[in-house]
Amino acid sequence: MLNKLTRWSRIKSPWILHLNSGACNACDIEIVAALTPRFDVERFGILLKATPRHADVIVASGPVTRQMRDRIVRIYDQTPDPKFVIAVGACAMSGCVYRGAYNIMGGIDQVIPVNIYVPGCPARPDAIVDGVVKLLGKL
Amino acid sequence: MSDIEIVESLKRDLGDKALELTNPDRRRIFLKIAPADLAAAAALLRDAYDCAYLATISGLDKGETFEFLYHFASPVVNINVRTEIPRTDPRLPSICGAIPGAVLYERELQEMFGVVVEGIPDPRRLNLPDDWPEGQFPLRKDWKHVRPQEVIPGGKS
Amino acid sequence: MSFEIPIGPQHPALKEPISLRMTVDGEVITGVDIRLGYNHRGVEKVAEEKNWTQNIYLTERICGICSHSHATCYVQGVEKLMELAPPKRGLYIRYLVSELERVHSHLLWLGVAGHEAGFDSFFMYTWRDREIVMDLLEMISGNRVHYAINTIGGVRRDLDEGQKARILEGVATLRKRSEYYFHIGANEPSFVGRIAGVGMLSKEQAVSLCAVGPVARASGVARDVRKEDPYAVYDELDFELCTADTCDVLGRVVVRVKELLESYKMIEQMVKGLPDGDIACKAPRKAKPGEVVSRYEAPRGENIHYIKANGTDKPERLKVRAPTLGNYPATVEMLRNGFIADIPLIFAAIDPCICCAERTVTLVGARNGEERLVTLGDLRRLAIERHQSAPPKRNAVWPI
Repeated sequence: MLNKLTRWSRIKSPWILHLNSGACNACDIEIVAALTPRFDVERFGILLKATPRHADVIVASGPVTRQMRDRIVRIYDQTPDPKFVIAVGACAMSGCVYRGAYNIMGGIDQVIPVNIYVPGCPARPDAIVDGVVKLLGKL
Repeated sequence: MSDIEIVESLKRDLGDKALELTNPDRRRIFLKIAPADLAAAAALLRDAYDCAYLATISGLDKGETFEFLYHFASPVVNINVRTEIPRTDPRLPSICGAIPGAVLYERELQEMFGVVVEGIPDPRRLNLPDDWPEGQFPLRKDWKHVRPQEVIPGGKS
Repeated sequence: MSFEIPIGPQHPALKEPISLRMTVDGEVITGVDIRLGYNHRGVEKVAEEKNWTQNIYLTERICGICSHSHATCYVQGVEKLMELAPPKRGLYIRYLVSELERVHSHLLWLGVAGHEAGFDSFFMYTWRDREIVMDLLEMISGNRVHYAINTIGGVRRDLDEGQKARILEGVATLRKRSEYYFHIGANEPSFVGRIAGVGMLSKEQAVSLCAVGPVARASGVARDVRKEDPYAVYDELDFELCTADTCDVLGRVVVRVKELLESYKMIEQMVKGLPDGDIACKAPRKAKPGEVVSRYEAPRGENIHYIKANGTDKPERLKVRAPTLGNYPATVEMLRNGFIADIPLIFAAIDPCICCAERTVTLVGARNGEERLVTLGDLRRLAIERHQSAPPKRNAVWPI
């Protein structure tokens, strides 16, 4: 009974944490643009939170640089279970144009497990919202 | 002052120290000097030519030597100062005494090419990560990066 | 007794990971140390292995907000190396997209500044208007961000009459809305009082620390690459160089507001005066050996690219210096002797290519080394409350 209640609240109002691991900021601007009146993701109950300890979903963008690798793992560990990761943009999926650079590890999935991939360079805000909704459908 | 006048005036002020002075395009002057005269040239450009603004310092690996270009800019012209140092003895004097804003660019030169900038106020790394191994200088031509094997989640390879 | 507060690298406010360690004495900051490198992707090394056309797409992705400025600066340089003369129509379209990008970047920044000063509805309003510009850019180029409209020798897509009419309509709406916001900003004493006197950078410091862009112009240094080193169409357009004298965050807001109005003027001139002809000329595969220094005025300051060619179809060396890097020594100076509560505002005022969001700040006690986690959102709320209870600065005046 309590499980159903928590599952319902998780689906109805997921709180997200935005993590940038060395991206060019285009995907990040589109993620923030998803909060603005045109796309307005807050009507789904989605709030952008400051700290990993409050978040249900980590929205990650950018290829992983060597400097950020340990920090990403630490942030992933700080997020309480159950947690989900959405990789936004081509950089987070496989490294985009930076594949082969000396400071880049590849996509986010080289460091933490990912549930949903949202393609695009940058991914449009509608696509990001679609990705979040698909994730909620899987819960 | 037009480009020609600036070139003439630089020839007069620097005399022998100016090893090469060209004006390939409008508002672009390229000047070559020896590394020892660098700080004095920076101070001269700042005081007499209104070039207190240093845009950046570019480094280039030419095989036997390293070449560095200092891009100064004044409201009417861009003066680019070039020096060359041998690869076997990579040392360069700092110009932070004349131009305090140059410190970040010199830090980047140190870590990317392995040059030792003498007199730099702050010799720490700028861009490379903390766990980068010593002695690896990415922008040298003979440094190649070997990509590590990627892990594809799901187990396929 | 001084504490050291590390800020970053993961912070919801600033989209770019960067680490600042502040040494504080009570509430006053005595020293700042900026640790870069979280975002270092080794683009210059990758650029040596791609050919000239592939590098356009690589340089675009150095930054998302000013992507066109990096691509244009690069293409300008390569066209000089290959001794190409792109047709006038292509140049006009290219710089039209540049000015639209400047508008979108300044509107983004105004929203960010409003958010950091506690004025959230301003943030929502300016970002809603930014969507008008994004629609125009999508109509011209096909993508909202990373509009790959440049090609070596000109542009890839053309404008027709219907699109030109839409652009003029969009700019007219934006101009009306922008003037309404400036009216709000001028008549809102708490907003002006919050940002006046914060983040002082005197004219001598701005010159000696090589500050660029609106940060330098707000301290009275009249430098703008569009006026000093006019490339292509800028010497045919009629616009003014905007400066302010107040040397603080208020001055930076004023400079960007003035630049917005100038950009609207320039866009209208360019659309109305668009010449006929081709949009691109054919470019060779290989470039002759040589070197070129290319400068461009991005929304944040001067962008400089140094390109060296050696006769093949790949560059020998591409050196990029983005404008925000040039402003870091000036930022260190600005943060010194400021208050902790002003950190988000000052850092956002240099327009560091990132959006505002919160950051998690770890307070490390200097004596016993124990850590306490404080979110920057709490710090921001504290700053806003403290400011509201303090008496307003009645003598801060909106200068335009």
